[in-house]
Amino acid sequence: MTATLLEAAILVFVLGSAVTAALLRDVLGSIIAFAGYSLGIAILWVYLQAPDVALTEAAVGAGVTTVLFLLTIVRTVRPSGDRLLERVGWRGVLAAGAFSAVMLTTVSALPEVGDPTAPVTGGEVTQYYLENAYKETEVENAVTAVLAAYRGFDTLGEAVVVFAAGVSMLVVLRRGEFV
Amino acid sequence: MIDLLLTRYNYVAVVLLLGVGTYMLIENANLVKKVIGMNVFQTGIFLFFITAAYAEGAGPPLVGHGGPYVSPLPHVLILTAIVVGVSLTAVALALVVRIYAEYGTLDEDVLREVRADE
Repeated sequence: MTATLLEAAILVFVLGSAVTAALLRDVLGSIIAFAGYSLGIAILWVYLQAPDVALTEAAVGAGVTTVLFLLTIVRTVRPSGDRLLERVGWRGVLAAGAFSAVMLTTVSALPEVGDPTAPVTGGEVTQYYLENAYKETEVENAVTAVLAAYRGFDTLGEAVVVFAAGVSMLVVLRRGEFV
Repeated sequence: MIDLLLTRYNYVAVVLLLGVGTYMLIENANLVKKVIGMNVFQTGIFLFFITAAYAEGAGPPLVGHGGPYVSPLPHVLILTAIVVGVSLTAVALALVVRIYAEYGTLDEDVLREVRADE
């Protein structure tokens, strides 16, 4: 399948806002560019038929993360200066370029986008979940069925991670002093 | 190369996002922007997974509404990863706030000098 105009436009927007976030000198501008980036990614998830991931990305990625960044800015500084963009560092361009070039050589070995016979979409595991999820859990949404039933322990582990993050934030910020 | 862009465009975007994320982690001196770079890198990996789950003409995995469906498993993994990513960002930003309170700067180079003087 080839990209439609809409999808190509979203991809260009996402890449453009990522580069903008990287190059803007003002951290607040960078955060706003990143919020736009998250929103573009959320739209891309809808386009790739992943509504659950899109909702989470819009609420958590574009919402909560942006608020966290803004709270950090309130408690710290925005670098002063009249330059709009940062200087491009050639050391970083070289390293990131080399990394991307190595990764790019693997892309031609991947299945085409949207190929229904690809290992992931046509594989045994996917077929098992799609055929048995409703019978075994009586949940229509296969994503919910896998999240809460088949991989319930995984989700419990996720809750433990969130709890640990909350505790370590309280420890790092020495509650009462900064919050 | 043109063929790659036409049929594997999302994977090319993944590679470019990973590149931008790496650049931000290496080259941006401001610690907050390093955290943004980490998030960009992360979403690049998410895009890889969700693209792998996509099948042309398939609908979202709501069983009983007529197939074919896209694969639900990568969606679940990424849902978990998004939440873990936010926890990671929150802890990183808490450390950034604490570093600013201790040293009065968020610039990597200034921070190195201040710590060398101690």
